[in-house]
Amino acid sequence: MKNFLKSKGFREVLRILLALLIGLTLGFIITLFVSDDPIAAYKAFLFGPVSRLNRIGDWLEESLTLILLGLAVCIVFSASQWYIGVEGQMVLGALVSGVVVLFVPLPPVWRITLAFIAAMAVAFVWAIIPAILKAYLNANELVTSLMLNTVALKLFEYLLKNFIMPEKARSLSSDMIPDELRLPSFIPNLPIFTEVRELWMKQTSVTAMVYVIIAAVIFAYFLLYKTSFGYELRTVGSNKKFARFGGINVNRTIVLSMTVSGIFAGLAGVHLSLAIYNRVMMGMSFGLGFEGINIAILAGNNPLAVPIAALLYGYLRAGADVMERTSDVSRELVVVIQALVLLLVTAERLLPTIQRRISDQREENNNNNKIKDTKRTLKGDPNES
Amino acid sequence: MKPLIDLKNIVKVYDNGVVANDGVNFSVNKGEIHALVGENGAGKSTLMKILYGMEKPTEGEIWVNSDQKHFNSSIDAIAATIGMVHQNFMLVPSFTVAENVVLGDEPLKNGLINKEEVLKITKDLSDQFGLFVQPDAIVDSINVGMRQRVEILKTLYRKAEILILDEPTAVLTPQETDDLFKAIRILVKQGKTVIFITHKLREVKEISDRVTVMRRGKMIGTVDTKDVTREQMANMMVGREVFLDINKPKIKRGEKRMSVKNLSYVSETGRAILRNVNFNLFSGEILGIAGVEGNGQTELIEVITGLKPAAGGTVLVGEKDVVNSTPREVRMRKVAHIPEDRLTNGVAVRSTIEENLIVDRYFQKPYKNGVFINYNVVKKESEALIKKFGILTPTGKLPVSSLSGGNMQKVIVAREFSSDPDVLIAAQPTRGIDVGATEFVREQLIQIRNEGTAILLVSADLGEVMSLSDRIVTLYEGEITGVFPDASKIDEKELGLYMLGIKKQSAGEMEKYL
Repeated sequence: MKNFLKSKGFREVLRILLALLIGLTLGFIITLFVSDDPIAAYKAFLFGPVSRLNRIGDWLEESLTLILLGLAVCIVFSASQWYIGVEGQMVLGALVSGVVVLFVPLPPVWRITLAFIAAMAVAFVWAIIPAILKAYLNANELVTSLMLNTVALKLFEYLLKNFIMPEKARSLSSDMIPDELRLPSFIPNLPIFTEVRELWMKQTSVTAMVYVIIAAVIFAYFLLYKTSFGYELRTVGSNKKFARFGGINVNRTIVLSMTVSGIFAGLAGVHLSLAIYNRVMMGMSFGLGFEGINIAILAGNNPLAVPIAALLYGYLRAGADVMERTSDVSRELVVVIQALVLLLVTAERLLPTIQRRISDQREENNNNNKIKDTKRTLKGDPNES
Repeated sequence: MKPLIDLKNIVKVYDNGVVANDGVNFSVNKGEIHALVGENGAGKSTLMKILYGMEKPTEGEIWVNSDQKHFNSSIDAIAATIGMVHQNFMLVPSFTVAENVVLGDEPLKNGLINKEEVLKITKDLSDQFGLFVQPDAIVDSINVGMRQRVEILKTLYRKAEILILDEPTAVLTPQETDDLFKAIRILVKQGKTVIFITHKLREVKEISDRVTVMRRGKMIGTVDTKDVTREQMANMMVGREVFLDINKPKIKRGEKRMSVKNLSYVSETGRAILRNVNFNLFSGEILGIAGVEGNGQTELIEVITGLKPAAGGTVLVGEKDVVNSTPREVRMRKVAHIPEDRLTNGVAVRSTIEENLIVDRYFQKPYKNGVFINYNVVKKESEALIKKFGILTPTGKLPVSSLSGGNMQKVIVAREFSSDPDVLIAAQPTRGIDVGATEFVREQLIQIRNEGTAILLVSADLGEVMSLSDRIVTLYEGEITGVFPDASKIDEKELGLYMLGIKKQSAGEMEKYL
């Protein structure tokens, strides 16, 4: 028990919860100023996401996407690549998987399988552009990946408008995916579950994708911490020059860090079009790719902590939705709280460093005094005479 | 006459415990050219940074013009009419020469920068001191010599009376150096005082009135330049410190392990750093490279180990030419490398000790199993190394940043020695570590030499090179200037003359022993 309390994992969770608590308290204080009925507004924020089944569904669905995005960012951040192209990879993954399921004439199982593979592959390949630019021409990946997000989004829009959208559609959207091509519910189709299953299927879109995501978390963990590729990735992230000195092919590792992250980002896209929206449409949770960065920071780049971080973060977002719909407080307040939480989490990471600095300083002063004292004794203290 | 600048008993201890200046007294008279010489790491730059307000002394007093000063930053030093030209120029490359000169204190007209005035100021200063520049040229497009003159003009514009030039000739061609010297003479004629940092003794003789020599943070002495010979200065600079008697059995020289032929390297800026370096390295011997730092040692090692591309030549390891191979290819030929810069190349401080110990072998059996790394094996092997090399840590799972400098070095030594190398390149293997760790590393070097490893040793510590090496070559400005087949029979004064390029053996003389 004692060991558990001292363990790193426990402290990490405690740290995030503490940051959350402080963030929420500050958020409440702000709510007091902006709302006529702050208690009701905050109640909606805190308990709204679990107050109804469909809201629980909303929360879980978004959190699941966030888990995949968080994993994608963990991979690139572990290699210290400030790559933020996860958004673009997700958008393309959504497009490709939707198109495959809608149009490729294959039996359902094969269609869906192909959709998964195609989405992951396209997201993987997409990252080759910024990766090569970075590895071989030292072009800043932050800039190139950000630009490519826009390219991906516009490509998505163009293809949707001109090729995918049915002619007489009123909104920028494909047809709905037919029932027989949809992913099954995450609840097994067993007689004892029939009732629950129907209820969840009616009110939510939590699909068997849950299992894919659990597998993805475990896969990412093993990839980062158990394989030689993960070792190369983390070593490059820790000190690029050292990695090169030791014989690691740094450029190849950088390229792979960005492309492999595409596997997860592509899956996030699949989750959007095949699980949540069941079609390809404009504005389906776009922008979420950037939230993946926050998840990875909260999780300290550890894939196993990503689900917790994503569920917490997703909860804040879901609460914000409910609060916005049911009270006079806008969701911007929640963005403030999210920012505070992130700030506190990252700031807390700075604390030990600052403490060390201070103690070093003290030690140094002591040493200096000691030197002075010794010299004084050797020379005879001028103050004494 | 009272000195213009008087530094009294300056002590500087850095946070990491390095003593850079140890009770240094340094005074400069008005109107003189004062050379400050010493090897790299002797504490010259630190002393000048203290005078320029960039570093605070741990102890000691700064007197300028008979006033005691307490500089909090270089702004205070500039106010006390001190100006400094750094080794790495600090100019805005996209601005013009004139804009750079006035940057930070621009002449204004109606609240806007007065462009004509800016050009005129620069032109006038340039004419007055004979420092030729093109005021309207963009800094990015001008050569190094002119950039340096811009830096000097910058200090003059801020009314500097005392100019500190930090190794100003290091980046210049001989022609540019002559121009610089002419300019310095004009400056002094107009009443300025110049402090000139260098380790090139020829230049000291040519330009300075007085010279102060530093060694290992201490001041060795100040003398009138006309009263000393270059040989005497060399002795003051490199003097050897006796440290320990190394118990070294007689050399059993074996087969040739490495053969470097006509190796050359040109820096990114186009300067020739290595010129046709030749030597062989044999099993069971330590070949020491003696030289003042910055004469190509770093580059020599990095070219050999695949970290830098060669401009020409070959490096045979056994029968295979490894020039321009990747670092891993070189390592696969059983070449190990203790790098000069511990924190940059030697370790990844955020990674664990275990992870640091396997960087050269994680992809081989028994560490790798399929796509996975077998962390049980890693743990077992790491624990054995931690024990064998006495790395002070409770576990190998801690990040390297938790270790002291000496223990970090032990991590590196443990990794490189345990790779069972045919050739070991050891650069500054004992730099900045405590006495105990130093002794340990030296003993280990001797031991693997006795076991037949060929060792190339580069160290700024001449005492170390002389007592560990079996054979020594001297490197000066990227060229081998001498080879000494028996290190125990060398007079260090003689060695100093070769290190500083005052003497040189002919190719024919060296051929037999290289």
